[in-house]
Amino acid sequence: MIAIREPKDFAEVFKYLGELRREVGTAEFLRICFNLGKEPSAAGTWWKLCLVLGAASGLFVLTMLITVGHASFNTSSDGINWGIAISTYVFFALTSSGLTMIAALPLVFGFRQFQPVAKRCIYLAIITLVAGFSVLALELGHPFRMLWAMPTGMQVQSPMFWMGVFYSIDLVLLIWKFYLIWQEDWDSPLAHLLGAASFVCVIFASGMLGMVFGSVAMRPMWFGSFTSIYYMLTAALSGAAAIVVTSYMAYDFNRNRMPEPLKALAESPDLPKVFATLIGIALVMILTRFWTGLWSNLDGMEGFHALVRDPLFHAEVWLGLALPFWMMLSPSMQTQPGKQLIAAFLVLGAMFINRYEFIVGGQIVPMFKGNWVSSLISYTPSLTEWALTVFGFAMALGLYALGEKVFHLSAVPDQAVYPEPAKA
Amino acid sequence: MAKWGMVIDLEKCTGCQACTMACGMENSRLPGEHWQDVIFYNEGEYPSPQVKWFPRPCMQCENPSCVAVCPVRATYKNEDGVVLVDWERCIGCKYCMVACPYGVRFYTEEKPAYGGPDMKQVFKGEQGRSWNPPWRMPDSKEDWKHGVGVQPHDVVSKCTFCYHRVSKAPKGTADLDPSNPALREFTPACVVTCAPSARFFGDLSNPNSEVSKMIGNKNGVRLLDHLGNKPQVYYLTGVGGAVPSNRATNKA
Ligand code: SF4
Ligand code: SF4
Repeated sequence: MIAIREPKDFAEVFKYLGELRREVGTAEFLRICFNLGKEPSAAGTWWKLCLVLGAASGLFVLTMLITVGHASFNTSSDGINWGIAISTYVFFALTSSGLTMIAALPLVFGFRQFQPVAKRCIYLAIITLVAGFSVLALELGHPFRMLWAMPTGMQVQSPMFWMGVFYSIDLVLLIWKFYLIWQEDWDSPLAHLLGAASFVCVIFASGMLGMVFGSVAMRPMWFGSFTSIYYMLTAALSGAAAIVVTSYMAYDFNRNRMPEPLKALAESPDLPKVFATLIGIALVMILTRFWTGLWSNLDGMEGFHALVRDPLFHAEVWLGLALPFWMMLSPSMQTQPGKQLIAAFLVLGAMFINRYEFIVGGQIVPMFKGNWVSSLISYTPSLTEWALTVFGFAMALGLYALGEKVFHLSAVPDQAVYPEPAKA
Repeated sequence: MAKWGMVIDLEKCTGCQACTMACGMENSRLPGEHWQDVIFYNEGEYPSPQVKWFPRPCMQCENPSCVAVCPVRATYKNEDGVVLVDWERCIGCKYCMVACPYGVRFYTEEKPAYGGPDMKQVFKGEQGRSWNPPWRMPDSKEDWKHGVGVQPHDVVSKCTFCYHRVSKAPKGTADLDPSNPALREFTPACVVTCAPSARFFGDLSNPNSEVSKMIGNKNGVRLLDHLGNKPQVYYLTGVGGAVPSNRATNKA
């Protein structure tokens, strides 16, 4: 036994860890923990890297927040109110929602071929949401106050209130669902109910997150019900990209090391098809959004002209979406492991830019500042803000590596116990 | 219960920024963080350029979008129609700043808006205050539940219509006229200080108040009325004044 692998419950985890420490001594025990096991592994390397990166960036952010406070951010009342920290939160929250949607393919809608990624999807959905919440908490002025002020305020008019409600329920449902799968309960009525409930919940959560932006008429670059739909559908896309990247990552980017069911899924055109469809939808939505944006003379829409002049936007659309779309549609490329990986990485990058461009871009037209701020606002994230983003990524990746090492994330239900449903 | 409102006569306003100064002193504002400001903007080109200005406090909207979006009910509209921030509830999410069409809300924790030394470092805050201005209001007047005083760390602040003054006015007062010595100390600081008397303050729910009559007789207009926030601050434009109908951004 290299390290604990899929313990039955937490008692077993602690029992094992205690025994290990007594057996090898404290120093060696710490070394094993740091390496995530006695022998080096891909997950162990990611974990170590992220631990160092997360600790460095997290400490830097904390030091800055304690000594300088949020003034270390480049956001301002006369400029961009919500900067890269919020766009990073949105990136993680929507990726989490997307992963839950992908998990719903086998768990709710019965597409059994996607079962090999279900458990990994749920685990990733949990940790990306946790990473997102952590980044958000460090951005908020008084994160702890929120815990009592939200339930006592009950401001039901606020989309942000509902976003908080749905994402909190979402997190509980995800953890519960993961626990059931961990206990190998895939098919009980409770498991089905939880699967369906968490699917409905993420639709509301991602839609509500869209509403946070879509409900403000004074920001015409965001305003409208489109934003909710846009968030739901692009959430699914970033979820799909995240699951492709992490499934490969778990096996050292080598498909031949994957267990059979997962390998079969990776080799089949099903996943690329879903992926290509979602990229296509995102492209159409971006096209229509910019089309109306560039066309309209409405006051406040000027930001669209600035966005299309931004090289980042073109990196997002051409490199991050159009190229992967083509790769995932082409029958000769869509099943190649290298192409799948490149496409997934590019899409993830594009989605990160997309959230930034949407959120920061939506605020670059100054809000009634006259000659004090007479042109579009320029904003570059500060070092602290970048460190906060790095912290979020290190946290998500580190927790992912930990999960990869501790749980069988590629687990599928035992076929003997749960026979394949009859083919239609 | 009153519905306090303000009327600003743009023909009388000289753009002198005395109101901005008075507000800053009265409410212990950081330099550059103007709850009340006179916004200047220009249109057209030589030889027929226009320079315009209009004083801009918080509009104390009838339908305040800041109140609707606040997830914790820290921003609220009180019974006298004034929109206030409870600094003991605010979580500093800045959603209200994003949602206010008039850009009149301010977050404490920012780099100085004016490029000079950071006053928060020069005058370090004590007792939870974000800074310790030498001219701050008496401690007894500070009232964080209503967003009055030196702002604590990590919250959002805005014009209170000088809540600490106006809330003490005798009930049923139609107009708070600073030329009346009995009412002067209850009148908002910007109205008291305005040299050409361009600002008027009174009860919009009272049809006989001077402000109501002025709005009716002189065609008071509101800023960005199409957004539906329905400001309780009205402008009289006469023949020489104008309010911008958009954000007045130079479309460069
Ligand atoms: S002007 Fe802005 S801050 Fe003032 S009440 Fe209206 S929406 Fe709220
Ligand atoms: S910053 Fe404060 S007042 Fe503004 S919406 Fe958030 S909690 Fe409410």
